[in-house]
Amino acid sequence: MLINLTNITRFYQMGAEEVRALRGVSFAVNRGEWVAIVGQSGSGKSTLMNVIGCLDTPTSGQYQLNGRDVSRLPDDELADIRNREIGFIFQTFQLLPRDTALANVELPLVYRGLSAKDRHARARLALEKVQLADRMKHRPNELSGGQRQRVAIARALVTEPSLLLADEPTGNLDSATGEEIIRLFEQLHRAGHTICLVTHEPKLAARCPRAIRLRDGEIVADGPGEQVAMNGAAPRLGQVLSAS
Amino acid sequence: MRLRIDIFEGSRIALYSLRVNRLRTVLTTAGIGIGVATLLAIIGIIQGLNTSFANQMATIGSSSLYISKFPWVIKGDWWQYRNRKDFTLDQLETVRAQSTYATALAPIAWRIADVGFLSEQVSLVNIMGTRAEYLSVTGWELGSGRFLNETDDENRRSVAVVGMDVVDRLFPNSDPLGATIRVDNRPFRVVGILSRRGKILGDSQDMRVVVPFRTFWSYFGKRRGFSIGVGIARPQDIDAAEDQLVGILRRARNTPPGKPDDFSINRPEQLAATYRQLTGALYGVAIGIGLITLLVGGIGIMNIMLVSVRERTREIGIRRALGARKRTIVLQFLMEAAVVSGIGGLGGTLVGLFGAKLVSEITPLAAVVDPLTVVGGVSFAALVGLLFGIWPAARAANLDPVEALRYE
Repeated sequence: MLINLTNITRFYQMGAEEVRALRGVSFAVNRGEWVAIVGQSGSGKSTLMNVIGCLDTPTSGQYQLNGRDVSRLPDDELADIRNREIGFIFQTFQLLPRDTALANVELPLVYRGLSAKDRHARARLALEKVQLADRMKHRPNELSGGQRQRVAIARALVTEPSLLLADEPTGNLDSATGEEIIRLFEQLHRAGHTICLVTHEPKLAARCPRAIRLRDGEIVADGPGEQVAMNGAAPRLGQVLSAS
Repeated sequence: MRLRIDIFEGSRIALYSLRVNRLRTVLTTAGIGIGVATLLAIIGIIQGLNTSFANQMATIGSSSLYISKFPWVIKGDWWQYRNRKDFTLDQLETVRAQSTYATALAPIAWRIADVGFLSEQVSLVNIMGTRAEYLSVTGWELGSGRFLNETDDENRRSVAVVGMDVVDRLFPNSDPLGATIRVDNRPFRVVGILSRRGKILGDSQDMRVVVPFRTFWSYFGKRRGFSIGVGIARPQDIDAAEDQLVGILRRARNTPPGKPDDFSINRPEQLAATYRQLTGALYGVAIGIGLITLLVGGIGIMNIMLVSVRERTREIGIRRALGARKRTIVLQFLMEAAVVSGIGGLGGTLVGLFGAKLVSEITPLAAVVDPLTVVGGVSFAALVGLLFGIWPAARAANLDPVEALRYE
């Protein structure tokens, strides 16, 4: 089991009001799984993604990542875990605009403390994996949206993380380019990567082997992607499946 | 290991963003640069003053005392000293006979007069009337020729030893030795030249003509009286020598017991002390101004760093998501602040040194320019940058990564 969430809650204080973004979420993800997390805006899926990505810590509950309890770690250790265990892919790509594609992909390796030589070699390899070997020296504004997202994917892959965490990865792309990116995800899934993909698009969720639907901070469905995507109230098969 | 990487990466990012925001860098840099420049120019000039003053004091002689009617540093009303009785040559001889410390004694009288040679004329020359022992009392040195001797004084000869400024003005192309100059329209034969002594606080010591004491008296009158220069063999005896002199003089001048001394015993250090008192206050004010300028520069750095943090909120979020620790972010911004300030410091140091040099060229103030100041200036500026960068850097590091990633 790579991810094991037990009764995770996350409450915020927004002025005088308490926002209950997550109200007791439990599920597990095995190594090699591709899970979509779907829900409408305000359903808590972004908060959930932040917790899974160790960018945020839960108010209560336990989160085990790769066998380690990470629900209440100090900030420095969370940073190291993000660096080693998680590859982020964002809707808005989140590339550093002034750096070349190569430098962007190298960035997480800088924080791992690798030598410049090692960083170059590994970043080059990662960019080749996403077919961008010929765009290494380009800056993000010289690349198309699809190419930018592929740079971001290369950056996520370069650290060989346990988990790829994608937040609406096709949200800022036209449908043809989006399709290209989804194919890339399918490829990565076949290659054995564990993927968590947050989306509000049923069509995208339908193509994932498994999907979890959130509503008002709670899981309302967990099952095969197709089923959860089409039918918001599918039974929580996922828990049964992952337990087996 | 990790720290080394943080510092290295921090500096790389810092240099990069400085290159990108060139205009901003230049402006921010200018702020700190002006501060450093001001401070350095002031320090340079003051150091220069101190050094030249110390040199001058060393040549006046630290082991001599000057007995005169007026104290050099007057406290209170100066006219209370005017009614003191003049010294007599008998009193001088009494001191010579009774003092066990004095090794040289010279009467010193002076006035200001014009000095001429052929068609050349110099005004405002110090005319000193004294004796052979003048040199060992004051530490002046003879450049060429001879100094005054006993016979010159006894026979009231019209001979003169001249300072270098007088030589420069009256004898640009000829040898003054043997020439006859006019001192206050009386002929004097030049027998010797004093070696150059330079300026004390911008006042040249070499604009002088030294003539025999009795000659001076007969030509210029006894009205002004004279001081007595006393040379002491060992500087450490100077306090004892002064105490002894007070006793000898009070007896010689019949000062009733209980009455204050009707003479003053002066030391060159008194001048030094007054000088230090005077410049100390000036020093403080000037450095205060420099520091305030630097403070303003530092606030400029802080301001620009805050802008920089805000502008790069998203970048900070990205870096944090990819595994940058808070410390890495702090170092990145601290390095940036330090580098901006350091560059400003370098520029400011050069301008400051140049300014100090310029001042010493065009004014009588002599500035000391120490190349080590460059290192000091740069590191001091960088330190100011670090100090004023702490708060913006801490703000950057404490951003919530989730919020930072969402920042537009």
